[in-house]
Amino acid sequence: MRESTVMFLHYITAILIAITGLIHLLANNDPAIGPLIKSNTALYLGNMAIFLAALLYHAFNGVRVILIEMVPDRCWTKWIGWAILIVGVVTYAVGLQVLMVALGLA
Amino acid sequence: MASEEAKDYVLPPEVLEETVRASEELWKPVKKVKFRIYKYNPKKDYAPHWEEHELEVSKGMTVLDALLTIKGEMDPTLGVRYSCRMGLCGSCAMMINGKQMLACQTRVLEAAGDGDVVELRPLDNFPVERDLAADFTHFFEKHKSVKPWIIRSDEVELNNPTGPYKQTVDEYARYYQFTDCIKCGACLSACPTAATDYEYLGPQALAQAYRYMVDTRDDGLDVRIAVVDTEHGCWRCHFAASCSDVCPRGVDPAQGIQLLKRLIIKRKFGYKPHKPAEALPAKVKAESKSGG
Ligand code: SF4
Ligand code: SF4
Ligand code: FES
Repeated sequence: MRESTVMFLHYITAILIAITGLIHLLANNDPAIGPLIKSNTALYLGNMAIFLAALLYHAFNGVRVILIEMVPDRCWTKWIGWAILIVGVVTYAVGLQVLMVALGLA
Repeated sequence: MASEEAKDYVLPPEVLEETVRASEELWKPVKKVKFRIYKYNPKKDYAPHWEEHELEVSKGMTVLDALLTIKGEMDPTLGVRYSCRMGLCGSCAMMINGKQMLACQTRVLEAAGDGDVVELRPLDNFPVERDLAADFTHFFEKHKSVKPWIIRSDEVELNNPTGPYKQTVDEYARYYQFTDCIKCGACLSACPTAATDYEYLGPQALAQAYRYMVDTRDDGLDVRIAVVDTEHGCWRCHFAASCSDVCPRGVDPAQGIQLLKRLIIKRKFGYKPHKPAEALPAKVKAESKSGG
C-alpha cells in the first residue's frame, strides 16, 4: 500500500474517532439520548466496533511512524509495518471479543 | 561627447567623501571576538576538538571573511568550503552560534550579538568532511532521486526542439519560489525528522520534487510520486517548519512539502495539475520575433 493511502486513512480515522467517540460518550453519559443508543444493540456495537478499529489504526500507525523514524534502516521499515499490522489485528480481535462479552452477546 | 557623458558619472566631492568615510567606518576594527572552531578530520583524528582564535573584527566583516583571515594568518589547515562569497552558491552553510547560516552572508557582529564569542561547527545532520566542511554526498543523492529536471514523453520534440514550451506568467508563479534554492543544506540540517531518520528525503529534495511536478512543461508527475510517496518520503514531515525558518533564500520548503502532500492525495482521485505544455508553434515564434 502506498504511504499516502496509509496516511490518508490516518487522517480519516482521526475524524472517525471524534464522531464515534462522541456517540460513545453520549451513550454513557447523556440521560436523554444515552438509553436510546444503548437500547439499540446493533447501533451501539457497530459504533464501538468502528471506534475501536479507528482508534487502533490511528494509534498503531502513530507507533509505526515513530519506529520508522527511530530505526531508519530500509530493511527494517517493511518488517515494522507487518509487525504493527499483526499486533493491531490481534488487539482488535481481542477488543471485539471483550465488547461482545460485555454486551452479553458472547 | 564622450567626456560630456563621463562627466555625468563623476560623483560630487561631498558624496565621494561620504562614501569613503562610510567605507572606512565599515572596515574599522571595533571589537575583539573569540572564534571557537570545530576541528575534525575523520580520516586522521580519533575525535573532534575545538580550537580558539581571537580577531579584531569590523562592522562589515562576515564570518567567512574572519575564517579566511584565520586560515591565512593563524591556521592554514582549517577546512572550510566556499565559492561565490555572495550567498549564491550555497557552499558556506554552517552552524554559527548554533544556527544554520551562510558564513558569507552573516556579519560577525550580528552573530556575536552582545557577546564576544562566535562558535562555528559543520552543519548538523551531515557527516563531517573536514572541520567546517560537511559531506554533501547523501544530500545530493536525495536531490537527484526526485529527478530534478523536466521529464517529457515527447522525446522527439525534447531532443530536437521546434520551439520553447509555452508557459504563462501565472503558471511560472506556481513554482518560482522553489527555483531559488541554492542547495546549501541548511534546511536538512535543521529538520528534526532528518536528525533521526537519515533515509528521510528531506525538505530540499521534497520541495524540488514539488517544483517540477507543478511545472507545466513537465510530464513526470507519477514518476516522482513513486519516489516521494514512500515510508521515508514526504509523509514523514511533521510540519515543524524549522527548515523554512533557516532557509537563507526564503524558499519555504515546508510549504512545498504540504502542497506536495495535497497534490498526491488529489492525484489519488484522478487530478492532474496540468496538461504538459506544448511547444510554441513556429508561426507564433516568427510573429513574436517580428514584434507582431
Ligand atoms: S531550500 Fe533553502 S535551506 Fe534548503 S537547500 Fe534550498 S536554499 Fe538551502
Ligand atoms: S517542516 Fe518537515 S521538512 Fe521542514 S523541518 Fe519540519 S519535519 Fe523537517
Ligand atoms: S560562498 Fe557562496 S553562498 Fe557563501
